[in-house]
Amino acid sequence: MGLSLDGVGLVHANGYRALRGIDLRIAPGERVALIGASGAGKTTLLRVLAASLRPTEGRLRVLDGEPWAASPAALRRLRARIGLVHQAAPIPPRQRVVTAVLAGRLGRWPLWKSLASLIVPADADGARRELARLDLAERLYERCDRLSGGQLQRVALARVLYQQPDLLLADEPVAAMDPALSELTVALLNEEAARRGVTLVASLHAVDLALRHFPRVVGVKDGAILFDLPAPRVGDALLRELYAAEGAVPESETDTLAPVDRSPLRCA
Amino acid sequence: MSKAGVSGGGLLALVAVLAAVGASFAFLDMPLGALFTGAAAAEAADFVRRFFPPDLSPGFVARVGFAALETLAISLVSTLLAALAGAALALPAAGRHGRPARGAARFVLNLLRSVPELVWATLMVLAAGLGPFAGTLALALHTTGVLGRLFAEALENTPPAPAEALAASGAPALAGFLYGTLPLVAPQWLAYALYRWEMNIRMAAILGFVGAGGLGALLYYSLSLFHEAQASTVILAMLAMAIAVDGASAWLRRRA
Repeated sequence: MGLSLDGVGLVHANGYRALRGIDLRIAPGERVALIGASGAGKTTLLRVLAASLRPTEGRLRVLDGEPWAASPAALRRLRARIGLVHQAAPIPPRQRVVTAVLAGRLGRWPLWKSLASLIVPADADGARRELARLDLAERLYERCDRLSGGQLQRVALARVLYQQPDLLLADEPVAAMDPALSELTVALLNEEAARRGVTLVASLHAVDLALRHFPRVVGVKDGAILFDLPAPRVGDALLRELYAAEGAVPESETDTLAPVDRSPLRCA
Repeated sequence: MSKAGVSGGGLLALVAVLAAVGASFAFLDMPLGALFTGAAAAEAADFVRRFFPPDLSPGFVARVGFAALETLAISLVSTLLAALAGAALALPAAGRHGRPARGAARFVLNLLRSVPELVWATLMVLAAGLGPFAGTLALALHTTGVLGRLFAEALENTPPAPAEALAASGAPALAGFLYGTLPLVAPQWLAYALYRWEMNIRMAAILGFVGAGGLGALLYYSLSLFHEAQASTVILAMLAMAIAVDGASAWLRRRA
C-alpha cells in the first residue's frame, strides 16, 4: 500500500522539465514532508503521486497499483483512494460548506446518491464531524464565499478527511493560515495518518514545521531529489544548499509563511 | 484631422449616409408629403379612436385570459426545454468532449439560432399542425441555439480547477460537473435563461400570427375581422403579461 517511483521524470507540454530522475520509495503508513524552494517541483511531484498528472518517463506505483497501466475505471477507483489537499482550495465560492465537504466521497458514492445529496445532504453528520475537528462545525450550512482564506483551506482539508483516503497528500495545506493554526493543522494531519495507518506526504513552506512534525524529510530542488533523510539529520548546510537560489535559509516559520489572509473572500 | 475637429473620413461617412437615406426614399416611392396633411392626421386619429374603448365584455375577457395563459405556458415550457437542451449542447460546444464534438455541437447551435423564431414556427405549423404545440417547439428550437451558445461561453470562462480536483479524487464526470462546475456557472446560466424567457413571452404572443396558438392567434383573428376594440384588449393583455414577466424575472434574479 506504499508508493514507489523509479526514474520518474515529467516534461510539460510546453517543453518545460518539471521533474527529473526521481527515485523514491515510501512504505505504507510512513509520514514524509517535501520541502524546497517555490518552483522546485513539489506540486508537480505531489500531483504525480496523486495519479492526476502522468509522468513522461519512469515507473510509478501508487497503493500497489500502476495507475497509468490501468483501465479508466480502475484508475477512477484508485483515485477515489487518494486524497490531495490542494494549495488553493478548489471549491466553488457559492457552494455550501456541507456540500463542499461531502464532495470528498463522490468517487465512492453511486451517482444517484451524489445527485440526491445536492438537494438534501446525504451525510450532514459526517461532514459536521470532520469540520468539528477543524473548529468549523458551526459553519456547516454557510456559503464558502463567506469564509476567510484560512477557513476555506480548512474546509478543503475537511473534504479530504471525509474522503478517508488510503493515501493522504497535501500541497502547502497551511499556506493561508496563521502560525498557531498551521501548527494545529499539521499536527492533525499527522495524527489522522497515524490513527488510520495511512501514508502521508505533505509539501510545506515552513521548514521547522516539517522538521518538527515529520519523521522523514525529502528536499526537492530543480525537479530532482536533493536529500531524503530522517528529520534530525537535516542540518543547516543542507538547507542552505536546498534554498541556495533564494539566497537565504528560512530560519523560522514566520518568515517563510505566505501572507496570512484573514479578510473574508467574497465573490463579485 | 481638420482644425474644426471633424475628420475627413467622418464627413465622407455622413455624406454617404445622407445619400443612402435620400436614395431609399426615392426607391420606395414614399409619399412623404402625404404624411403631414390634415386629412392624414384626421384619418390617423380616427384609426386610433376605433381601438377605444377596449372590449371588456366578460365573455371576451375570458377568451383573452385563456389565450394569455396559453401564451405564458408556451413561453415557460419552451424556455425550460431550451435551457435543458442548451445545457446539454453547451458541454460539447465548450470543448469538453474533444474537438470533433465541439465542431458538431457548434454547428447544430448555429443552425438552430440562425433560423428566426417565426420561420421555425411556420415550419412547425406545417410539421405538427396548428396550435400551441407548434409554437412551443418553434421557440424551444431557436432558444436552444441562443442559450447553448451563451451557456458554452460561460463554461469556457469558468475556472476548471474545482471539477479537476473532483475528477482527481475519482468522481464520475457528471458528479464532478454538478459539484465543481455548475455552482460556478449557475448564476450566469439562470440570468441568461430568465432574459430569454422575457423575450420568449413577447415572441409567444406573436407566433399566433402564423397559427401557433396563444394571444397572437386571437389578435390576428380580431384584426382580420376589423374588431379593433377586441384587438385593443388583446394588446393590453400582452402589455400586462410582459410587465408581469419582467417583474417575476427580476425577482427571481435577485433571489438567485
